[in-house]
Amino acid sequence: MDPIGGLLGGFAVILTAQNLYLCLIGSVIGTLVGVLPGLGPLAALALLLPVTFTLPPVGGMVMLCSIFYGAMYGGSTTSVLLNIPGEAASVVTCLDGHQMARQGRAGAALGIAAMGSFIAGTIGVIVMTFFAPLIAAVAIRFGPPENFALMVLGLVCTLFMITGSTLKGVLMVALGFLFAAVGLDVVNGKERFTFGSVNLGAGIDLLSVVIGLFGLSEVLANVESLTKSSVLAERIRGLWPTLADWKAAWRPMLRGSGLGFLLGLVPGGGPVTASFMSYMLEKRISSHPERFGKGAVEGVAGPESANNAAVAGSIIPVLSLGIPGNPVTALLLGALIIQGVQPGPLFMTQRPELFWGIVASMYIGNVLLLVLNLPLVGLWAQLLRVPYRVLFPVVLLLCVVGSYSANKNVFDLWVMLAFGAGGYLLRKLEYDLAPFVIAFVLAPLLEQSLRQALVMSPDGAMILLQRPVTALLLAASAVLVALMLRRKNSPLGGGSP
Amino acid sequence: MLERALNAFWILLGAGAAWHAWTLGLTGASGPESGLFPLLAAFIVMGAGLVLLSKAPLNPRLPRGAALRRVAGVVIGLAVMAAALPYAGFAVSGAVTMLVLLRTAGSSGWVESVMLSLASVATVIWIFGHLLGMILPRGPWGW
Repeated sequence: MDPIGGLLGGFAVILTAQNLYLCLIGSVIGTLVGVLPGLGPLAALALLLPVTFTLPPVGGMVMLCSIFYGAMYGGSTTSVLLNIPGEAASVVTCLDGHQMARQGRAGAALGIAAMGSFIAGTIGVIVMTFFAPLIAAVAIRFGPPENFALMVLGLVCTLFMITGSTLKGVLMVALGFLFAAVGLDVVNGKERFTFGSVNLGAGIDLLSVVIGLFGLSEVLANVESLTKSSVLAERIRGLWPTLADWKAAWRPMLRGSGLGFLLGLVPGGGPVTASFMSYMLEKRISSHPERFGKGAVEGVAGPESANNAAVAGSIIPVLSLGIPGNPVTALLLGALIIQGVQPGPLFMTQRPELFWGIVASMYIGNVLLLVLNLPLVGLWAQLLRVPYRVLFPVVLLLCVVGSYSANKNVFDLWVMLAFGAGGYLLRKLEYDLAPFVIAFVLAPLLEQSLRQALVMSPDGAMILLQRPVTALLLAASAVLVALMLRRKNSPLGGGSP
Repeated sequence: MLERALNAFWILLGAGAAWHAWTLGLTGASGPESGLFPLLAAFIVMGAGLVLLSKAPLNPRLPRGAALRRVAGVVIGLAVMAAALPYAGFAVSGAVTMLVLLRTAGSSGWVESVMLSLASVATVIWIFGHLLGMILPRGPWGW
C-alpha cells in the first residue's frame, strides 16, 4: 500500500473523539508511569491491558502504544529532578540532567529532554511510515520455515544484546518455552503439563506473568530499601532551551534519533540500549568528554532522543513481522493476539485501518506529549513528592486488579504472586527477565511454525537449510551464537555466572 | 548457597519436564508431536542448570532485618488477599490488606493508613469497576 495514502487513512481512523481521548489518556498514564519511579511502562501496560478488551482494537492499541512512548517522555522528569530514573531508559539522563538541575538549569534540562523526545519520536514515526511497508512487502513471501528462522534470529539477537550472563539468558528463553507449553497443544488439542488442573488447562496467563515479573517484583525490590528522596525544591524556570543549548543539542538529537531507531529495530535492543549507546557515542565523539557527567547538554539530548526513536523502531518488527524485540513489544503482540488480530506480514493488508491508525496515533501522541510535558512539568514534579511507602500499596492493588480482571479467576493472582516472588529472586541472582517474556510470547508461534515446516518437508529438518532465506537467517543466528561463544569468560557465560 | 539450590532446581525441573514431554510423544505419522518442543526446552534448562552449577555461585545481597520483614510482609499480605478475595470481595480484602501493608511495610500512622486504604480502594473500584465496567469480586454483602 502507498504509505501516504495509508497514513491519511490512518488519520481518518484516529481523528475521532474516542480515539483521540484514548490517545490522550494513554499519554497521561504513560507520562505518569514514566515520572513515578518503581512502575515501568511494561507493568503499566500489563495492568491496563484488560481495560483494552472492552475497547475496539484500534482504540485499545492506540492507548497501549501511547503509554509506551509516554513513559519515555516522563522518565526524564524524575531523572533530572530526583536523580532517580523514572524508568530504565532514563537511567543515563540522571548523569547530566540532574547535574544541570543542581546548577539551577532544571528547566533547560527538562526542555531539552522534551524537545529531543518530540523531534526523535516524530522522526522515528516518519521513518516507520515508509519503512514498515517495505519490510512487510518482503516478509509477505515468508512461509513457516522462514517465520521459524526469523523468530530464532530474534531470540538469538535478544540473547546477544542482554547484559550479564548469556547462559542465564538461554535458560530464561527455555523456561519461557516450557511455561508457554502449559495448557492445550494448539495443533492437536492434547493437554501438556496441566496435571489434571482445570486452571492450567487454559495455559498460564500472560498478564499474570508480566505483572508478577515486572510489577510485583519491582515493588518487592523497592520496598526492600525504602528511602526518602528529595525533589529539587526550586521553581522550574526557562523550559525553552537557549540558542546555545540548541546549538549543542541539535546534532546529538539527530544522531540519537538515527541510532535509537536502528537499535529499536534489533530484537533485544529497544529504548534502554538506545539511550546508553547514544550517551557513549556522544561522549566518545565530543571534543570535551570531560564535561559529561557534569551537566553536558549533549548527555541529555542524545539519550532522550534515542529512547524515543527506539520506540518507533521497536514497534516495526511487531507489526510487520509479528516478532517482538523487547518485553513491552511482546506484550503489545500479546494484546493484539488477544484481540483476535495476528500481526505479521499480512497485518498491513488485512487490517490497514488498525496498522495505519496506530502509526497516525503516534504522530498525534508525540504532539500531545510535548504539550503535556512542557507546560505541565510543575504538576509532574509535584507528583514526585508522593512517598513510595504510600504509593506501593496502591500499585499492589492495581496488580491484583490487572491479574484478576483478564479471566476473573483468583488462580491468576497466585500465578502473579509466584512469578513476582520468583522474579524478585531471579533479579537478585542477576537473571535478565526480558528473554523469558519474549520467549513466552513467541513460543506458540515458533512451535507452530517449526511443526508446520517439518510437516511440509519430505526431508524433515533439512527444509530449514534448503530454503535460501531460512538458511540465511539461521546462518546469521549461528554467527551471533559464535560471537557470543567468543566473548570473554564464555562458554556462553558472558561475564558473571 | 541460594544460587546452588536454584541451579539444582533447574536440573530437577528440566529432568521432570523432559520426562513428561517424553510421555506426550515426540513424532508421529503427521510429523512432530506435542512433546518434541517442550523436550528440547527441558534439555536446555537441564543443561544450563548443570553448567551453572559447575561455576562459582554469586553472593547476592539478600534482605535482612526490617528489609526482609517488608518484603515478606508484601508477599504474605498479597497471599492473604488472594485467599480472602473469593469470600470477602475486593473492597474488604483490598482495604484490609492495604491497611496492614501501610502500617507494617509502609510505617504510616493509623489515621493516615485508614484514610489512604479506604480512599485507594474506593478510587480503584470507581475507576475499574464503575467507569471501565470491569467485574471485581464481591463479598456476601454485595460489594
